[in-house]
Amino acid sequence: MRHVVDARGSFCPGPITELIKAYRKAQPGDEIELLATDPAAKSDVRAWAQKSGNEVVSIEERGDHFAILVRVVRR
Amino acid sequence: MRPVRVAVVGGGTGGTLVANKLATELRDRVRRGEVEVHLFTERPEHYFQPANLDIAFKGAEPRRFVRDERELVVRGVNLHLGGVKLIDLGNRTLLFDGSSLEFDYLVVATGSRAMPELIEGLAESSYNFHTGQADARRTWEAVRKLERGRVVILVNVPHKCPPSPVEAAFLLDEHLRRRGVRENVEIVYATPYTRAYPTHSIAEVVEPLFERKGIEVVTLFNTDYVDVRERRVRSLEGEELRFDLLITVPPHRGAEVITASGLGDEEGWVPTEKETLRVKGYDYAYAIGDATDIPISKSGVVAHLEAIVAAKNVIADIEGTGVEHCYTGRINCPLEVGDGRALFVSGTYAKPPERQEPSRLKYLMKRTFPNLYWAVLKGRFEAIFDLYLGKPYTVRGARG
Repeated sequence: MRHVVDARGSFCPGPITELIKAYRKAQPGDEIELLATDPAAKSDVRAWAQKSGNEVVSIEERGDHFAILVRVVRR
Repeated sequence: MRPVRVAVVGGGTGGTLVANKLATELRDRVRRGEVEVHLFTERPEHYFQPANLDIAFKGAEPRRFVRDERELVVRGVNLHLGGVKLIDLGNRTLLFDGSSLEFDYLVVATGSRAMPELIEGLAESSYNFHTGQADARRTWEAVRKLERGRVVILVNVPHKCPPSPVEAAFLLDEHLRRRGVRENVEIVYATPYTRAYPTHSIAEVVEPLFERKGIEVVTLFNTDYVDVRERRVRSLEGEELRFDLLITVPPHRGAEVITASGLGDEEGWVPTEKETLRVKGYDYAYAIGDATDIPISKSGVVAHLEAIVAAKNVIADIEGTGVEHCYTGRINCPLEVGDGRALFVSGTYAKPPERQEPSRLKYLMKRTFPNLYWAVLKGRFEAIFDLYLGKPYTVRGARG
């Protein structure tokens, strides 16, 4: 299952809040696509994935925003 | 023909202000009986919620920060105490206290609930200042007796007022120093974010201050459960923290009436267009403040500015002007760092908050606001806010 989380325009508290909300209800094998404009989201999501044992599949630039695809490995 | 009815559900900052703005700006129509403004709120007490921090960490007197809602609404607002049981958005009807009301326009301002009970062991083992004045006071009773040990400040998301957990750490540190017991107390700040503050530009200010004050930061800590007997909190990431005193910012959820009415997502937030503030799929319903699913701070300033935008859009709808007011995403949240200094986390959807140095002046601005708050609810000082923050909306022409 893919969860799309639109956090464009969010700087405070920011996209990572929206990612964590989606992660709490996701299952192993699910994917979370996070749309964001806050550049700090890229390093935040990488750090979170590393610590939580999940996987950043891709980070794709899409003009005025970018999409980070996370695969949920651990829950 | 019955009057055009606007129903506002929720009498917090946003709901009270939007009802007052509507009754004020439509006063001629209200007086002629063409428009009715109805405000529904559960209790007569209206709390100035930011003061919960002062109650919990400075021992402030709670009664200073509460007023009767009946004194806060302007002439022309029909205030209903007792709350709404169900919102039937499709049929434009509210159920309340065994009665019903048909409406033409609706503003949802039902706020959020701090719910420590959502996490195993959290409610019974922690103190918090987000569930109201009584719990803020309980926190103060624990804090003022604290002599030694390990305090964990545990942040859960989502929560209202992004600066509040960081402020709690600063104010706890300040209180313990003042009492001369700081060296006997370890303060650990555990956050689900990658930094001490989620916005990096602000984290750059907060982190050196935490370091200087000896506040330890544990990042990427998403609470799984609390072992009440062992006094340990465990994270989804597999870390464990021992505590003697646990002060938490509980996870928040939308209001019960939203869930009961089938209007919210899984957590009870109302799907809302982030610029027009319309409830998605409805052109006669708006949502503001904590109640929405907009990825922005759940804070008084957002509720305040969104109330202005929603009121303008409802008025434009009623008057048929065809213009739309679009919220810019303006935030401006004070963050107190102790020692009588503060900064403001300020930005918009398009402009991230910039780094700010804490200052005495910003602290004084923060301290002044509780005195202005009750008048702000009546729509006063708007010109000053516009001057200071810029208008919280842009205007576009006929709806396309």
